[in-house]
Formats: sequence, structure tokens, C-alpha cells
Amino acid sequence: MKRTMVIVGLIFLSVGLFAQGNDDLSPQRKQAIDSLALEKVRDLSKYISIIGNKDTPWSEAQRVIERAVELFMPGSEMGVSSLSRPEVHYYKLREYFDRLMQLNYDRVVIDWYKIQYVSDLERQPDGTYVGVITVFQRFQGYDKEKGLVYEDTTKKDITVYVKRKETQIGGRLIGFWDVLLGDIRVKETSK
Amino acid sequence: MKKIPVILILLISSFYSSGQIGSVQSDESILYAQTKQINQFFRRFNGEEDVTGKRIYDTDDSFHSTKLRNKYLNILFDLSSPLITKDAREVFILEVNSKKNPVFLDFHANNWFAEVSADFTYNRKPIHMILYFKLEKERLGYKWVLSNVHTSAFNKYFKHVGDSISGENFLHPMSHELDFMTLRKMFASPDNIGYYLEKDYYPDQLALFLKEYQEGTLKFVSSNNVKFHFFQIPNWYFEVSYFNRYQNNSGWLISNMVRVNDQEKKEIIRNYTHEK
Repeated sequence: MKRTMVIVGLIFLSVGLFAQGNDDLSPQRKQAIDSLALEKVRDLSKYISIIGNKDTPWSEAQRVIERAVELFMPGSEMGVSSLSRPEVHYYKLREYFDRLMQLNYDRVVIDWYKIQYVSDLERQPDGTYVGVITVFQRFQGYDKEKGLVYEDTTKKDITVYVKRKETQIGGRLIGFWDVLLGDIRVKETSK
Repeated sequence: MKKIPVILILLISSFYSSGQIGSVQSDESILYAQTKQINQFFRRFNGEEDVTGKRIYDTDDSFHSTKLRNKYLNILFDLSSPLITKDAREVFILEVNSKKNPVFLDFHANNWFAEVSADFTYNRKPIHMILYFKLEKERLGYKWVLSNVHTSAFNKYFKHVGDSISGENFLHPMSHELDFMTLRKMFASPDNIGYYLEKDYYPDQLALFLKEYQEGTLKFVSSNNVKFHFFQIPNWYFEVSYFNRYQNNSGWLISNMVRVNDQEKKEIIRNYTHEK
């Protein structure tokens, strides 16, 4: 709860200053929103690594799954394809995280490449801005006796929704940009 | 020609450092060089991002710069494609990146559309279908709308449509005097109903798709490949596909390109979308 308040505070500080009643995004405002969105993606990356880690106790993994789900719009899904199965398979987020937690390896290593790509923000009919952030993840599954038994690199295209909202603080109406993640397309990349 | 992408990758590798997410210690130059999103394809084509992938705005000096575009345009082609010759590529780049009349792609403009391959079941049997989407403005923003579909599974409903000779299958020209009592002949055989349609009728698979989907006989399973078709550049048509390979020349790239006049463009659109 305390952490949420801090984050909300940061959002006001970093983006609220830019919100002046106009829905057009200036380059500065876009950059501030990109930073917020990237912060959420970083949180997600961190959570995925914790959930997938075999040393994470079950109760802690469950707590992290809850936190991860809070980053997303309700109903968000993962659309997953691999080199051998190019058709997209759909998973609800919670199902995806549960499967990640229960993977049948003795040790799992999830790393993230430094590269990230942030798209422009486009408006959808209701005025909400939508963007996509692309990141790359390396997954390694180890067996106690056989060592590394599975490895892949996936490209994750993560939907970002940005909506302008207002709230009252001390009698003053303050505008801010609310950022939530949405559907994620996961595609295995060629080696 | 080959030197340009290499120089670009070196530039990207050396400049990029801010806002990092991960911890993988490996050569990421291929991922930087890759055109990772269609959004990046637009930006690179137009010269609207720097070598680190950051957006360049119209207030920046290098916005739409000929020099920058020249570097990017060269890496936006599938260099392994036998369909695109080196000469065609060079002429295309010269034309779109001309100093006098540069041509840019416009995300919100018409004349480009998406083609999505998808799997369905039709009467419980797996079938393949192509869905065509275009961008449409609504209220405060835009949305992709389904503009047409095509599947060979529907062809059986359009037998003899457009056939120039109808044999014995027609309503004679005095049928009106008989209050069209000849309709009985027209409806005698479902196989021949196509002969009785006007010659310019074009099968509307989208209507059939809506009917079958709503009646539950057609069910969506999954989407697969996506392609984009661009008709925005005068005298050119090109197609953009995703190349999932571990090379600098990867991601969303021009996979086919043809020099065409306006009439030919219309024909290509018709061929792709199966529209009139």
C-alpha cells in the first residue's frame, strides 16, 4: 500500500506537471509517459524473473503474481507462439504466471536483454492512448543431472494503455496520466 | 551498399545505453538492427528516429533528413529476396528520398492494409482464412476494421459466378410477360444458381463469413502470419513481412516490391482483397 502511494506520488510529480487540460501529447509529455510505461515493464520483468525462479517460496510467488496482475488492464492475455508452433496460443495472464511458476525444471534462469523499443502512442476511439513496448527475454531451464535442457529467446510486444485522469488533492483538481499494461504477444526468436 | 547497415549497427551499439531493462551480457547488435515493430518501420522509412531508436520530432534538425533516411531505407528490404533486384531497390530509394519531392509513409492515411492468416473450424473441420484489415477513424482515434475475408472453403457457394456462357441456364428475355414463372427452372438445381447472376456480381465472402460465424458453424481458432500491403508511394506497391531470423537484416522488412501505375495498383488491391 505504502509502495503504491509512493508510485502514485511519483506519477503526479513526473507527469502531473505536464498535464494542462490538453489531450495532445507534446514530445516532453510523451517522454514522461514512456518513462512511466517502461517502469511498469521493468516491474513486470522483475516479477516474471521472481515467479519463474525455483528458489522463490510458493507464498512469495503468489504474492508477486498478485502484484504482476495489478500492472495490467483486466482481461489482458498472453498470445504465445514458438518456432515450431507458429499459431498463437492464448493464455489469461494469471494462467500464464501459474504455468511459469510450475515449470518442470530444477532451475530456471530468466534474463532480459538491455534493448527495448517504445512505439508512438496512438489514440483509440475512446481517446485512450495505446502504445507497444518491445523487450527481449532469454529463458533457460536446467535439469539437476543433464544441465541446460531448454533455452529460448522470446520477443515480447507489450501493450501499454495511457489514459488521462483527474483527482482532487487538497481541493485542487490535478490531472495525471494513468498507465496500465495490456495484452502481450510472445514470439520465440530464431537462434 | 553492404557497408551501410554495418556502420549503422556500430553506431547503434556504441550510442545506446540509457533506460536499460535487462542483464543478458551478449552481442545485441542484431536486435538493435532488427526492425522490431511496424511503428519502427514507419519511423525508419520516414527518418523519424535516431540510431538509438529514439523518436525524432519535427522540431529536431534531423527530422526527415535525407542522410538518415538513406541509411535506414537500405536496411528496410529483405536482402535475400529474389523478388527485389538491387536496381529496383536503388531506384525506389532515389525516388522516395528525393531532395525535391521526398515521399513519406503516413500511418493514418488510406492505401495500406493488413493481411492476417488465421485458422478457423468450419462445420468442425479446420480451414484456413485470410482476414483483411484497414485503419478507420472513429471519434477521438482510430481502429482496425475488418474489410474483407477470403477462404477457398467458400468457393463452392460461388460456382459458375462470372461464367461468360450460361448454356441452358438462363431466364429468357420474355420471362417478365409470364410473371417470371420461369423461376421454377432457375431454382431447379442449386449447383447452377451462379449462372443466373449478373455478370458483374463479385462474390461477397464477408457476408457469408458473418452468416456462418453468427450461426456458429465457423469458429475462430488462432491467427498466424501478418503482412502489410502499401500503396502510398506513387508508382510503387510493396509488401512488408516479418522475418524471424538471427541476422541484422530481420524483423519487418519489404518482402516484395513492384513498380506499378495507378490502374495496376487497383488490380493488385483487387487481387489481394478479392474485391471488385
